[in-house]
Amino acid sequence: MAVGEAKTYKIPIGPVHVGLKEPITTWLEVDGERIVDIKVRPGAIHRGIEFMARERNPIQVIYLAERICGICSFAHIESFVRAVEDAASISVPKRAQYIRTIMLELERVHSHILWAGVACYTFGYDSAFNLGLLLREKVMDVLEAISGNRVNYGVGTIGGVRRDITPEAATALEDMLDYYRREFAAFYEVATEDPITKARMRHVGTLPPEDAVRYCAVGPTARASGLRVDLRWSSPYEAYADIEVTPIVPQDYMGEVYGDVFDRFLVRVLEVYQSLDIIEKALLGLPEGPLMAEPKLPKLLALLKAADGVGWSSIEAPRGDDTHVIRLTKGDENVTWWKVRAPTYANIVSWPIMFRGQEIADAPLIVNSIDPCISCMERALVVDKKSGSSEVLTKEELLKRSREKTRRLMGR
Amino acid sequence: MSRRAEYTDKAMASEAVVSVIRERLGDAVEVVELRDRKAGLSDAVCFHDLWLRCPKDKLLEVLDILFELDFPFFHVMSGNDEGEAVLLNYHFSLFQGSGRASRLGVAVSVYLPKDDLTMPSIQDRIPGAEYSEREMREMLGINFMGMPDESLVFLPEDWDERIKPWRRDEAGPKPEQIRELS
Repeated sequence: MAVGEAKTYKIPIGPVHVGLKEPITTWLEVDGERIVDIKVRPGAIHRGIEFMARERNPIQVIYLAERICGICSFAHIESFVRAVEDAASISVPKRAQYIRTIMLELERVHSHILWAGVACYTFGYDSAFNLGLLLREKVMDVLEAISGNRVNYGVGTIGGVRRDITPEAATALEDMLDYYRREFAAFYEVATEDPITKARMRHVGTLPPEDAVRYCAVGPTARASGLRVDLRWSSPYEAYADIEVTPIVPQDYMGEVYGDVFDRFLVRVLEVYQSLDIIEKALLGLPEGPLMAEPKLPKLLALLKAADGVGWSSIEAPRGDDTHVIRLTKGDENVTWWKVRAPTYANIVSWPIMFRGQEIADAPLIVNSIDPCISCMERALVVDKKSGSSEVLTKEELLKRSREKTRRLMGR
Repeated sequence: MSRRAEYTDKAMASEAVVSVIRERLGDAVEVVELRDRKAGLSDAVCFHDLWLRCPKDKLLEVLDILFELDFPFFHVMSGNDEGEAVLLNYHFSLFQGSGRASRLGVAVSVYLPKDDLTMPSIQDRIPGAEYSEREMREMLGINFMGMPDESLVFLPEDWDERIKPWRRDEAGPKPEQIRELS
């Protein structure tokens, strides 16, 4: 190669990397510090959830759906049960619709605060990270007060919800609303007015609006590029039919839109306030009535066994549009097939646009800016080829190998 | 030909979209159902899902008609091995940026006979369909003609590509290749 001719190098980030919360590999092609191109290789935690669902009835699949993701577990349940309700023509009692809405918004609050904290952590702003995580505890407490769990709440079921908003839980919710309205402003200011935050996030990982459309970006990622899209607005479901939600876009607040990491940060932080308002309205308008369309499980299962059709549901999860499609066949107890499309699956396609021309040091920040949830995106893999070289290792086998290595090192 | 890359702010009534499709494509495309999706205290219809079925050589034509109305946001492709054929459902949305309660979901079902599992790629029209086409290629064995990247997306690097995990025939995994995790 002639002297002076540009030569690029390939650098992997991942599958395991300090800047990543979950495993995914991004191969960066770099020219000096500048990223020329990127190739994403997911697949490190594909668990075969859609495949597993074929041997389970819809009630059992609810709990499988809940475990797609630890952060937006209720969003996946919600989308799944709505798809089943669509396939089996089940209508949900009004009170259950409102409780679902409250749960969805609580989950959005905790997901957005967690993300905003982690984003600060990514560029070394640890005090904002700690403040974010401290603030997040409140909503986790409320989720625990309602469901008994901090994650995987077990609240949703087909045709309704399994937990009520009791007077005690309502008090906890009101208390939480007061707390955030009082305390969250500190985080908002610390994060948005800090010059370093702006320096690290402005003009980084830009996604122009026309690319956001063409690459089908969803949720806060799309809104940060200035697109007015929000499924709670364009296709209201549950209590969003009564509570109007308008999409939050940076141009309405800052006067201009860049579509960069800062705008993604801003949209999420502002959406926390929006969620608080939605929770308050849903709590005030919470109608009385039953929690489930059919509380007796054997009857519900019989009804689902008799159902025949395809159901489709797209809802606005914290990270964007979460789509579930399901097929129920008459006479078959189990789910015939099921397709999950988590928001990250849609947003990751636009990573190459965000990365091109950026510096390596910004890579973890850009990766995190769409709030990637790799477990959400990847769901399959129980199938393995025993005959060939790859094998799925069980915990016991791993433990065995680990112990063998210790013994080897000890010379025994 | 440059296609639109923005969401329209002018929504059309769902019934009007159905008439456009009927008018332009006649019997070639079957309008299976226009489904009401209700919610809220008054159980009002908040949006619709339109289910279409079309032969595989008509998909691009359907897509181009949708492009005239709005940028068809691509959600995902769902699919199944139905025995004689493999079913693919393309899930799109129209008018999701056109105002409150204006979205129309459009699902287009295509049946592909087992002896010709090919589809034209839609990535030149909608680049966002990349992962879904790659997923359907590795999971169900559909070949999308003209897709730029045919590498695996979710399956491991050393996967035996003859095995298509979601197929229910001899192309699918054998029972002894599946490990039940208790």
